[in-house]
Amino acid sequence: MRRSTTHDRGSPERALASCSPDSPPPSLHLSGIRRERWVPLLLLAPALIVLLALTVYPLLYAVRVSFRAADDEAWTLVNYARLFTDRFFAEALWHTFVYAGTAVTVEFFLGLGLAWLLDRHIRGRSLFRALLLIPMMIPPVVVGVIWRLLYNPNFGAINGTLQQWGIDTSALVWTASPRWALLSVILVDIWQWTPFMFLILLAGLQAIPQEPYEAALIDGSSAWHTFRHVTLPLLKPAILIALLLRTMDLLRIFDQIFILTQGGPGFATEVISLYIYKTAFRFFDFGYAVTMSFALLLITNLISLAFIRLIRAEEGLA
Amino acid sequence: MALRRVMRRSSITVLWGLLLSLLSLGCSHTNGKEAHLTLAVNAGVEGDALRAAAQDYQATFNVEITIAEFPYANLFEKELIDLTNRTGAYDLIMLDDPWFPRFAERGLLTELTPLYERRGLEGPDDDFVAASLALCRHPYGTGTLYALPYVGNSQLFFYRKDLFEKYRLSPPETWDDVLTAARTIAEREQIYGYVMRAQQGNAVVADFLPLFWAFGAEMFDAHGHPTVNSPEGIAALRMMLALGAYAPPGYVSFNADEVAAHLLQGTAAMSINWPAWIPALSDPAKSRVIGKIAITAMPGQKEPGRAEIGNWLIAIPRGARDPETAFDFLLWATSAEQMKKSALRGNPPTRVSLFRDAELVARYPSYPVQLHSLQTSRPRPRTPLWNEIENAFGIYLTKANTGELSPEEAMNRANAAIAEILQRQQ
Repeated sequence: MRRSTTHDRGSPERALASCSPDSPPPSLHLSGIRRERWVPLLLLAPALIVLLALTVYPLLYAVRVSFRAADDEAWTLVNYARLFTDRFFAEALWHTFVYAGTAVTVEFFLGLGLAWLLDRHIRGRSLFRALLLIPMMIPPVVVGVIWRLLYNPNFGAINGTLQQWGIDTSALVWTASPRWALLSVILVDIWQWTPFMFLILLAGLQAIPQEPYEAALIDGSSAWHTFRHVTLPLLKPAILIALLLRTMDLLRIFDQIFILTQGGPGFATEVISLYIYKTAFRFFDFGYAVTMSFALLLITNLISLAFIRLIRAEEGLA
Repeated sequence: MALRRVMRRSSITVLWGLLLSLLSLGCSHTNGKEAHLTLAVNAGVEGDALRAAAQDYQATFNVEITIAEFPYANLFEKELIDLTNRTGAYDLIMLDDPWFPRFAERGLLTELTPLYERRGLEGPDDDFVAASLALCRHPYGTGTLYALPYVGNSQLFFYRKDLFEKYRLSPPETWDDVLTAARTIAEREQIYGYVMRAQQGNAVVADFLPLFWAFGAEMFDAHGHPTVNSPEGIAALRMMLALGAYAPPGYVSFNADEVAAHLLQGTAAMSINWPAWIPALSDPAKSRVIGKIAITAMPGQKEPGRAEIGNWLIAIPRGARDPETAFDFLLWATSAEQMKKSALRGNPPTRVSLFRDAELVARYPSYPVQLHSLQTSRPRPRTPLWNEIENAFGIYLTKANTGELSPEEAMNRANAAIAEILQRQQ
């Protein structure tokens, strides 16, 4: 790519050198070169304009909107000030952290365990692998609907099965209990996205060469020590990438919760993106919604930055 | 060299040409008929009726009609964004009545009186139910007319008449009667006495307001300050919790579907519901309680019972391309003749004559009760901030129902939250 552009643009010297006797006089040719310099820009212009119109302009406009109260044109900081006094915002943010933290931790350990199990030569390995990927392939909205039916305390399959086993389910209301609702929606996320962790970690495991293992074996290292001192360090880049992607995804979780609980009961499962959605499209307060989105963006960026630093450090070591 | 340059130049021209033609494609319009209307409708039985009416209209008049259908959850945002930006995408829009103040206050709708006058009419005829027409004016009841009512929903009280007869209970007139009946039936039958929607937001507020009003509570005083934590309001919430003791487990997450399922499966004895569920009661594919459910007006308590009104309105956006054609369609669709067809398609009308129409009453025996309920109904408070107020109120009502907050604490917090919303907008 870089080579072709230097060639296309050409230095003046080279352009002159390539002049044949019947080529136009140098002055004209120079303007031609200048024109040629514009050609790539002109070719890129449509894409650039579309990009500017679709990303940069809305972003700048969003910044403007966040400094505006309701229908007032004046610049103001009220939306940013409200972030610090809004109980709903604080609570929704807390739910988001609990949700993301719990889900990513459980998904990681489950995913790692599964990847470790299925990295070996066991019978039916490819069947297990294929089956494990199914939840990830289902659209989140469909997953939400499926689990809403499963969780239904009166007609749902979970309580129905428990009742058949003779368990009293009258207190088991899953997503309708303020204490268990958040855990119930986290469980759905774990069910759906553990395969993603598994997939990345499995790829990581398979990329590890055999030699270190053989060396460890010769040195008489135990299975745990091999895992701790050989597998884990070599798997670290894959682990960090998997954690980064899942965390970013979890911080903006919306669809499953929207279908499962709408943020309820009460406010028990309201996460930040759901609150932003309601503020924007139900209350029509775009200024505050955009402000909260920027807050979420900042948080996501800080967390991602930490992960990326770790990844870089890892690469540096390697 | 020269050829390359020419080719390059021509390829740029082609690219730009392509871009321009793509842009112009978005703006082009072709239609075979004289006039063209686009309707934004709710995906559901209400929108279906209007779609069918539009097809009839196209067949009779030289107007082409396009239907843009959206699920209830998205219709409001689509319409408000479109009307605020004045893109003119829609010539007629269906509005759920609580949304109306927001649209009217922002001046997003076309005033209808001048359109009536141009046709030598003074305004809508007297056949419209007054409570329905009042929703279409801003300010409420007396102000400028911006819409016409199309679907005349109001809440109704459903109960199992077979069980009421079995235990010699008279049809509930007060909420105390409801509680007694719920207790009696729950203790002696293997079913739940009462079922309600207690999911935060629209659902719980809609099912609570009739109780709230019956106990003599009001959401706002004469100065517009919130008063939900009045002793009457707290007493109403206590009644809701008392009924909740006889409701199915997990009712705090119920919306209309769950309530209807319990009613249709015969696992609950009473509930507040909307007329849209009436046809399902006598549908053998859905109902196990055919002929067992009676429908009555809302119970009272300190005050006479009043249902919440929930009408679908049709309005013309301000700045619509062709308001005259749109209004012609609106008049036609809300005429008695066309509304009767809509009623036969399952939508309660907004005209008194149709609630008394012999053919319709034979088909929908609950029409007299529905008319009474509609005529005595009350709207949700008319404020452009209703969605946000309802959300906050609903969260605390649900929290009281889950037992997280006491009734006093829930109402105090709701009151503070509503006051904050109002204050912020000043």
